[in-house]
Amino acid sequence: MSVRIAPEPVVVDELITETAGRLFGELCTHEAVQAAEDSGGAPDIWEAFCETGFDLIAVPEEAGGSGGTLAEAIEVLRLVGYHSAPIPAAENGILGGWLLAQAGLERPDGLVTVVPPRAADGGWSGGETCSVSLNGDGTAVLSGDAHRVPWARSAETVVCVCGFDGTSTVVSVPASECTITPLPNMAGEPRDTVSFDGATGRAAPAPHGVDADALAQRGALSRVALMAGAIEKMCQLTVSYTNERVQFGRPVARFQAVQQHLVWAAQDAALVRMAAEVAAREATRGDAPFEIAAAKLVANQAAARATKACHQAHGAMGMTQEYPLHHFSRRLWSWRKEYGSDAHWSAVLGQMATGVGADGLYPLITSGTAALA
Amino acid sequence: MRFTPTELTGPELDLQTEVREFLAAELPPGAHEPCLGMAADHDREFSAKMAARGWVGMALPSRWGGSDRTAVQRFIVVEEMLRWGAPVGHHWVADRQTGNVILKFGSDEQRERFLPPICRGELGFSIGMSEPDSGSDLASVSTRAERADDGWVVNGTKIWTSNAHMNDWFICLLRTAPMEDGNKHAGLSQFLIDLQSPGLEISPIPFLDGSHHFNEVTFHDVFVPDVNVVGQPGMGWHQNTTEMAYERGGPDRWLSPFSTVEQLLREAAGTPMEDAVSDLFGELAARWWGIRNLSLSVARLIDEGEAPSVESALVKEMGTRYEQEVVEKLVQLIDEEYSPESESLFERLLAQCVVTFPGNTIRGGTIEILRSVASKGLQGLPA
Repeated sequence: MSVRIAPEPVVVDELITETAGRLFGELCTHEAVQAAEDSGGAPDIWEAFCETGFDLIAVPEEAGGSGGTLAEAIEVLRLVGYHSAPIPAAENGILGGWLLAQAGLERPDGLVTVVPPRAADGGWSGGETCSVSLNGDGTAVLSGDAHRVPWARSAETVVCVCGFDGTSTVVSVPASECTITPLPNMAGEPRDTVSFDGATGRAAPAPHGVDADALAQRGALSRVALMAGAIEKMCQLTVSYTNERVQFGRPVARFQAVQQHLVWAAQDAALVRMAAEVAAREATRGDAPFEIAAAKLVANQAAARATKACHQAHGAMGMTQEYPLHHFSRRLWSWRKEYGSDAHWSAVLGQMATGVGADGLYPLITSGTAALA
Repeated sequence: MRFTPTELTGPELDLQTEVREFLAAELPPGAHEPCLGMAADHDREFSAKMAARGWVGMALPSRWGGSDRTAVQRFIVVEEMLRWGAPVGHHWVADRQTGNVILKFGSDEQRERFLPPICRGELGFSIGMSEPDSGSDLASVSTRAERADDGWVVNGTKIWTSNAHMNDWFICLLRTAPMEDGNKHAGLSQFLIDLQSPGLEISPIPFLDGSHHFNEVTFHDVFVPDVNVVGQPGMGWHQNTTEMAYERGGPDRWLSPFSTVEQLLREAAGTPMEDAVSDLFGELAARWWGIRNLSLSVARLIDEGEAPSVESALVKEMGTRYEQEVVEKLVQLIDEEYSPESESLFERLLAQCVVTFPGNTIRGGTIEILRSVASKGLQGLPA
């Protein structure tokens, strides 16, 4: 009988990995991903994704979702990243779907997206450029502009959260009431501007633990999962390409200088996947502020190193649109900046690390959030 | 290649608690001068205390004096010792690799003779690989062992041998047959050599800071009995490669600067901290968390019967570079002109890191060699 108790294992059903992997493998060809970028969406891929129920994975069944754990949703997102599937899987499911379910708001038909919280403006997910006023009758009026809202142009519903823990409110606004100005991120994914212009939405109080900070953490976790998939695929492309590309009479992968890039990229792929899986495991069990912050910072830094290594190993071929490396590298550069930059998460982690003090520093590394209590 | 996340079980967490309590009592924080990772002080008494707890040679079978513990349990003990800066130098090599080699390739007579005293923390081992003309190209070693009655006669020179002046035994890779055309790995054998043997001369090669770790070990007709040959003569390369795998991927490859970072935080307590310094603690904690999870998963793979040589090489290559990166980040932030004789313990440790850490990406196989091992694995080629 041990004194310290290990938590219950978190297991991801292999069928999820298999099904999502097969679906994206068939649909997310280089051409399809490019076409989605050119047209601003991939309704056919989204429809096929919805048919599997993965669009609402980890949203409780009683709230109209597909059920399943957060860890399983994160595994699906890892595969979205691995195949650069051009769909708002995170926004519709574990972010927007989660907020609606938590607040008990009805889930309208069609795609749901979320206004990402601005790190500097705790309490209101729309940032300082827009505001909300609650009417007290279950409705709210929004004004101003929300920026970098993923796939807003295709969404039926825009969700945001305002106020602080315990007193925060989730607001759900029909996209038809807003003016949407398309804007791409560096990978050509829609990150649109939503002008509310007095749009009226439905509002409901959020339970304890659901606020802009919690959304920021879930959003960061979603990006880590996407990044883990993208880095892994980028590495595999690089190993294949350097084995096929012959210069000086042999595959360039035989050169030590090129091997260095392969090894460094493989390390970062392993590091980010580990970070994503451990953070997802802990977030499935409960609050995981340390693991999520650490995972996003590690992923951000790894994305910088791995994209550099993989591009260098590809030479000029990686700089062309005809070769798929850019689907992954440009997404990584974009996702690195979403839901928290390096500076943001370093500061958050710095508060935790200095807070536990010298004697608590190693226990923080081994036990994570549990060591903060 | 796949690093599967793992976590400590209840009994493993209890072991972690037990090690922490042991260390807090033996080496109270702030009251001892931490060592920098595995380049630790030699303290036979401390090694004996650890051995009394069953923490030396712990993964060896109880039949030979070990504790039948797992690679993960050894990982837990080692990581706590290293992050604490404990003086584990005396038993370090025997515990990490030589015991395993003797168990795997040695005779029952050798197991009986060496493993129980290793597990009691008594025997210190040095490693005889490098020579004046053989470093990364290890197969080119030319120190010879020639057949004699009931044994072998050894002539030649090993260099950069850590702690031969303090240790008891020497596990050596020697040439027992001439190099064959097309097979440079043939004709090598592993020997256990008593460092007190007649004809064996140990002279210091001062480290760059003047300290004494390295030695030159010269053999003048040193007699080694047959019973000290490990495994089959001629199989030395294979055995040595297996031995090197034990050297890789563990906490000793990423924890060396931890006690320095911890000491900075200890000395900074009670004074306002610049954001840049606070952010750095956060960044370092995050990276260590990630690398530790990778390294722990390698230990778990070993317990599951896998031979994760590519994974180990990847972790070691990454971990040792990270150790240097940690030091560089500290150097960039710290205003003080630290020296090995600074009043502040943190500054003394940092000065020692700056001067000695270039060796971290060299010892036990340079990172260039590791990249070659790892990239062959990534491409599915034989290492």
